[in-house]
Amino acid sequence: MKKATGNKIRLGLFVTGGIFLLMAALYMIGSRRNIFSDTVKVTGDFYNVDGLMVGHNVRFCGIDVGTVDEIEFVNDSSVRVTMLISQDMQKHIRSNAIASIGTDGLMGNKLVSISPRGGTAAYIKDNDALETLRPVETGEMIRTLKVTNDNLAAITDDLRTITEKVNTRNTLWSLLLDTAVAENVKQAIVDIRITGRNSAVVTGDLSRIVNGIREGKGSVGAIISDTTLYGQVKQTIVDIKLAGERTAIITGNLDSLIGSVRKGEGSIGALIMDTSFAHKINKTLDNLEDGSDNFNQNMEALKQSFLLRKYFRKQAKQQPPK
Amino acid sequence: MLINKTGEINHMYRERYRLLLPNTMTKRPSIFKQWFEETGNLSAFAGRYLRDSLRPPYDFGELLRQAFEVGYRSLGLVAITAFIMGLVITIQSRPTLVEFGAESWLPAMVSVSLVREIVPVVTALICAGRVGSGIGAELGSMKVTEQIDAMEVSGTNPFKYLVVSRITAATLMLPILVVIADAVSLWGAYIGVNIKGVVSYDLYVRQVFDTLEYSDVVPSIIKCVFFGFAIGLIGCFKGYTTTKGTEGVGMAANAAVVVSSLVVFIIDLLAAQITDLLNLN
Repeated sequence: MKKATGNKIRLGLFVTGGIFLLMAALYMIGSRRNIFSDTVKVTGDFYNVDGLMVGHNVRFCGIDVGTVDEIEFVNDSSVRVTMLISQDMQKHIRSNAIASIGTDGLMGNKLVSISPRGGTAAYIKDNDALETLRPVETGEMIRTLKVTNDNLAAITDDLRTITEKVNTRNTLWSLLLDTAVAENVKQAIVDIRITGRNSAVVTGDLSRIVNGIREGKGSVGAIISDTTLYGQVKQTIVDIKLAGERTAIITGNLDSLIGSVRKGEGSIGALIMDTSFAHKINKTLDNLEDGSDNFNQNMEALKQSFLLRKYFRKQAKQQPPK
Repeated sequence: MLINKTGEINHMYRERYRLLLPNTMTKRPSIFKQWFEETGNLSAFAGRYLRDSLRPPYDFGELLRQAFEVGYRSLGLVAITAFIMGLVITIQSRPTLVEFGAESWLPAMVSVSLVREIVPVVTALICAGRVGSGIGAELGSMKVTEQIDAMEVSGTNPFKYLVVSRITAATLMLPILVVIADAVSLWGAYIGVNIKGVVSYDLYVRQVFDTLEYSDVVPSIIKCVFFGFAIGLIGCFKGYTTTKGTEGVGMAANAAVVVSSLVVFIIDLLAAQITDLLNLN
């Protein structure tokens, strides 16, 4: 009888222990899924949930804050994901946060990742809707990778061609292996360094000159810094302007005068433009030339005449010898 | 009469002395016929169990005694096996995960493997060996020594007293055994994880329960109910239908172990298909 009672107690302990372990396991699993804690329900409309399923985790700044409760179609291009977020986390998540579909590690489960966006938006409350990001689709990624691969193939092909040319023609190698070139390059670098140093000196001098000019030192400085000069320059410009205007008037008068002359108006016009008058002048000049020749002959004759010979000799003696 | 009027061996004697006769003198039924006959008898046996288990009076005393035998007495063996399984699976899985650089996934992977599949099946197989053979041998010996017939004569319902209590005890105790074995195997896995690595107890528990879901635990427990029922049913059937004397007792015990182990795997396969169909993976 005693043994039977002992057995019953052992059996009771065994059954109780088993049931307790089962309950504890179910509670711990449930608590991880926020089944036994107060939660806030928020939603997000996604274009593509990328294999997300009910029960997957919701993370905020990398911390598990809830689970996916429901996934339903809103229309043909929108899927609504309802998330249960632990009430303890409500005071950390603002309503302007962005939800996106991510992956736990490289090969892990899908999850909803909520990222803060700063600002002073209100904290989330029940039935709030979060903004969402379109997830990066694997297919799209592969298409982009294909383009990158094609580009890489083209680049490597070009590189191969260049390398072949370099290897075949041996020009670059000879250039690289030529010690004289290296020496020249070295010397050029030294020269560049010296030039740079000189440039620095010149720049320093220029800087000093500019500073001197700014301070009003020297002629240029005086010109730039002299405030009265401005008035004088301005007056000069006004004078030049007036002179210009007068010159314009004179030029206009001259233009009209030349016009009149061209038209043969006035004495000068008649003189210039009348061809018969010019002919007469030419004739007169010819006559004058002939007259002067004749006069010279008369004078030579007078010099030879006995009446005036004495006078001319006296004149020649009075003149100093040349 | 050994030989009947038509010159053939009498049916009764043929069955009794079948093993002593040359093959040409015996006419065994085909394997398919045997299979269908056995399946039909087993189904009728299960139907009788379901019918009798719902009808009063209920013998709780015998049920508790059988529960103690099936559950409590199997605990030590099951716990040791579960601990070793947890330890071994962890040690064996580590190199592969290390190769992929996913060593941190070891607790998660091992816990799912143990809870979903390994512990329920191994526990069921141990129970099939220990409990199934025990029930088969016990009932078989009672059958061949005509104790069951004596019970019937005395007005006691032997089926209710012997069969219903044993099948019910196996059905109820196996899930509890599996829950305890799960806990022990996870403890073994924790030690296994820490043999070559350092994972704190808190982190281990967090990783295990972060990974486990109701869809891992509940189907495995439900599966164990069917495992227990199958082990109890087949053990009782083989024992209760034993023939051929003491030789039949051994055969019944052996058949109970073999068939119930096979049925455990078949149920496991069906359970995997059903959980897959219900999207509980």
